Amino acid sequence: MSQHDRTHHARIATGKGDPQCFAGTAGGPPKFKVGDRVRIKDMPDIFYTRCQVYTRGAVGEVAVVTHESPAPEDEAWGHVDKSEWFYIVRFKQTDLWPEYPAAFANDTLQTEFSERWLEAV
Amino acid sequence: MSHDHDHNAPAAMVDEISDFEALEIAVREICIEKGLFSAEDHRKFTEFAEHIGPTPAARMVAKAWLDPEYKKLVMTDAIAASKAVGVDYLNPTGFGTPSDYTDLRVLEDTPSVHHVVVCTLCSCYPRPILGFQPEWYRTPNYRRRLVRWPRQVLAEFGLTLPAEVDVRVEDSNQKCRFIVMPVRPAGTEGWTEDQLTEIVTRDCLIGVALPKPGVTSNLELPVHRAAKPAHH
Repeated sequence: MSQHDRTHHARIATGKGDPQCFAGTAGGPPKFKVGDRVRIKDMPDIFYTRCQVYTRGAVGEVAVVTHESPAPEDEAWGHVDKSEWFYIVRFKQTDLWPEYPAAFANDTLQTEFSERWLEAV
Repeated sequence: MSHDHDHNAPAAMVDEISDFEALEIAVREICIEKGLFSAEDHRKFTEFAEHIGPTPAARMVAKAWLDPEYKKLVMTDAIAASKAVGVDYLNPTGFGTPSDYTDLRVLEDTPSVHHVVVCTLCSCYPRPILGFQPEWYRTPNYRRRLVRWPRQVLAEFGLTLPAEVDVRVEDSNQKCRFIVMPVRPAGTEGWTEDQLTEIVTRDCLIGVALPKPGVTSNLELPVHRAAKPAHH
């Protein structure tokens, strides 16, 4: 018989939604604010991650501070006791892809990270 | 000749089911046997999931075009704004637990910025308000190419954007879900909410098309048959 509590998520999320059910659980205010320049860390991801390889090492700008939630690297294994702030970061496409045409230098890409992946530039 | 043994085999009566379909049936039957949900619950949920489509999201965009106050709500709390178009994100089925994550964000296009949504990691999509993903949205081809060659991929959908319009790709990889609010097209002056809703197609809400007066369905893309199809 599994010891895993399969109704835990339904109990905390019903009526509030997920990620709203994790509001206030990051243990403090967000470290970064909209407009901050951040670099994406290149950390090991041997088990599970949602941090795309194409963003590793790239520098972008915080576009939105979204919500608090456990990081997927933890949540995938049922560890939901610790949350982090999440950020939508905006990159210039020419900073992500070496062959991106200079004629479209203002094209951008946005994607989301938990705080552990970001460092101030 | 040893390789022609199956040339006269009769055609299969039904397509073979995939491993994932077999897995889904197995898990579903175990859940029903354990009493987690009943076969009736499962049928109701399947019917719910199959009937939802992009119309509520289209209406949200049309209402926002017409009503600046509603647009403010859409841009600040799209989950609350969904209720006005008949979608309760916290109880979308009217039964059971919430489905999908509940941080919906609306990406507002301007005359100089065009948004397009992809999920490179899987196929994240705001299903309660947009229905199931089109098959192409789930393909590795769309997912890996859109982030890197967005203009070329959009051109394949028939959308060629001028250089003065910046393309902004949103790679939906966490708990936020996204829809695109296109710019209201010229030629729709004086239109009603119902008329505007009709031209905001699913493809416009993903960002691979722009709304046009008179166009009320997604572009039919030509299907090129494989020259050398895989032999199963």
